[in-house]
Amino acid sequence: MNEPLDDRTRFQRTLVRVMSVQVVTLVLLYLLQLMFTR
Amino acid sequence: MHPINWLIVVGWIGYVVVDGVRRARNTRELEGYLLANRSLPWWAVGLSVMATQLSAVTMIGTTGQGATDGMRFVQFYFGLPLAMVILGVTLVPFLHGAKVYTAYEYLERRFDAKTRSLTAFLFLLSRGMSCGTIIAAPAVVFSAIFGWKMSACVALIGVPTVLYTMIGGVQAVTWVDVKQMVLIVGALLAIVITLLVQLPVSPVQALHVAGAVGRLRVFDFTPSLTNTYTFWSGVIGGTFLMLSYFGTDQSQVQRYLSARSVDEARSSLLMSAYWKIPLQALVLLVGVLVFTFYLFTRPPLLFNPAHDKLVRERQPAAYAQLQSRYAAELTARDLAARDLAAAPPDERDRAAQRFQLRQHQTEAMRGEALKLAEDASGQPSRDVNYIIPRFVLDHLPIGLAGIFIAAILAAAMNAIAAELTSLATASTIDFYRRWIRAEASEQHFLAVSRVALGVWGIFACVVATFAANLGSLIEVVNRFGSFFYGSILGVFLLAMYPRARGTGAFVGLIAGMSAVAAVNFGAPKVSFLWHNVIGAVTVLLVGMVLSGGRRATA
Repeated sequence: MNEPLDDRTRFQRTLVRVMSVQVVTLVLLYLLQLMFTR
Repeated sequence: MHPINWLIVVGWIGYVVVDGVRRARNTRELEGYLLANRSLPWWAVGLSVMATQLSAVTMIGTTGQGATDGMRFVQFYFGLPLAMVILGVTLVPFLHGAKVYTAYEYLERRFDAKTRSLTAFLFLLSRGMSCGTIIAAPAVVFSAIFGWKMSACVALIGVPTVLYTMIGGVQAVTWVDVKQMVLIVGALLAIVITLLVQLPVSPVQALHVAGAVGRLRVFDFTPSLTNTYTFWSGVIGGTFLMLSYFGTDQSQVQRYLSARSVDEARSSLLMSAYWKIPLQALVLLVGVLVFTFYLFTRPPLLFNPAHDKLVRERQPAAYAQLQSRYAAELTARDLAARDLAAAPPDERDRAAQRFQLRQHQTEAMRGEALKLAEDASGQPSRDVNYIIPRFVLDHLPIGLAGIFIAAILAAAMNAIAAELTSLATASTIDFYRRWIRAEASEQHFLAVSRVALGVWGIFACVVATFAANLGSLIEVVNRFGSFFYGSILGVFLLAMYPRARGTGAFVGLIAGMSAVAAVNFGAPKVSFLWHNVIGAVTVLLVGMVLSGGRRATA
């Protein structure tokens, strides 16, 4: 019974980590656009 | 090109072939040849996955797109991280745990032989042709730039790749990919540093100039089905496309099937989730910086030297007149760009408007030149693909130019090697071993795999050599490919639904392809990124309805 729960926890952690990195990347790209595009 | 540059290129190709062939020692059995005995570490598989997607088209075409269109293409990859995570918990454990050679083999275990054979056949059809175009794209550019015959350029790219792939198998492909990725990323970083050093303005000023004409516009939030690259098509359509590509395309699946364990296979995909968008942004940034470089250094009117020569011969008066107007306009644009770069913040908007006007005029003249080239050659000009190679050969220092050309070749070889191994694997496992000869020795299947790889290699080289004449046929095949990419994903997603059955999957697959074909012909302006969503959802719906309520026994 523990294994699926472990899997779910691991998936949630991975999802949060990957999506956090993506959000940071997209924010940086957005700042690049915001600062320099006219 | 300088002899030192050639030495670097030839030396690198020689090193890659020797290194790849050396790996043949570990490939005496079928599993060793096709899946590296499922023994590879996650980081090597991860780099190989990334290398496979980074073809010469990326190095030449995407950088060129960065120069002419800016950074917005990066939106295409916005769905990739989420797709990687979803695959990590869905298809990767299924496929890795099933100990299959191909993704399609799993479909027979789950559904039936006809679903497996149809998906494998569709894969062979589209990938067989696309493999030829992957060789042809850089070969056409090399042919125009160096003035070589197309067949010689195809041989330069195709022969070494077929050689090390055929002898060394997946083991060779993966470890060569790792080294080639280091070369490619190193070359991209080196070119960025060189450009920043060579520019007569500071990096921040260069970004202000590029941004003034939209080259740093990344996000387009327009809710449009017809714009190919928007935030929404990237996130939604891109997720489905990446799920299809990484989850069901054998050229990708085979990479992570060779990982040591399910966890290592997942980790290898997560490498792309973390690094693909920054890497793609780097590729596009190279193009943006090359655009900025050519604001201060006079660019040719046509970057393709073959077209330049052709137009000069066919339309000497019109071309000379256009060139003289272009030269005057470039001088004015140079001054406007320098004014903008040096402008204080409160005067930047006005300086940007003057520069935008000059850029607009310059682009209009380039458009006239491209029209002359198209009229003279009778083909689309595709001048964008020549911007980076011309910049590399004309302006990079000796040595670095050789490294960048070697990196373009490396990118081409990586993509081709992955395609060839996957084509050989699907041919051997899904057709030869399934329908022709089920029982034979390991040595026999190993030999068949090597022969299949060689035959696909020759086929790809022949297609590439005649690609210019096969243009419309290739387009038809590529368009046909977009009909079933999402539909195949739908079949794999359906496989995870416990009640789904073979007939539902097979009919669903045909219904999915038909739905995409209907959208394609009925509403041709709908971006191809949405085709994958339509195909996958149709297969799921039809498959679930036809599978009824009874739980499958397979």
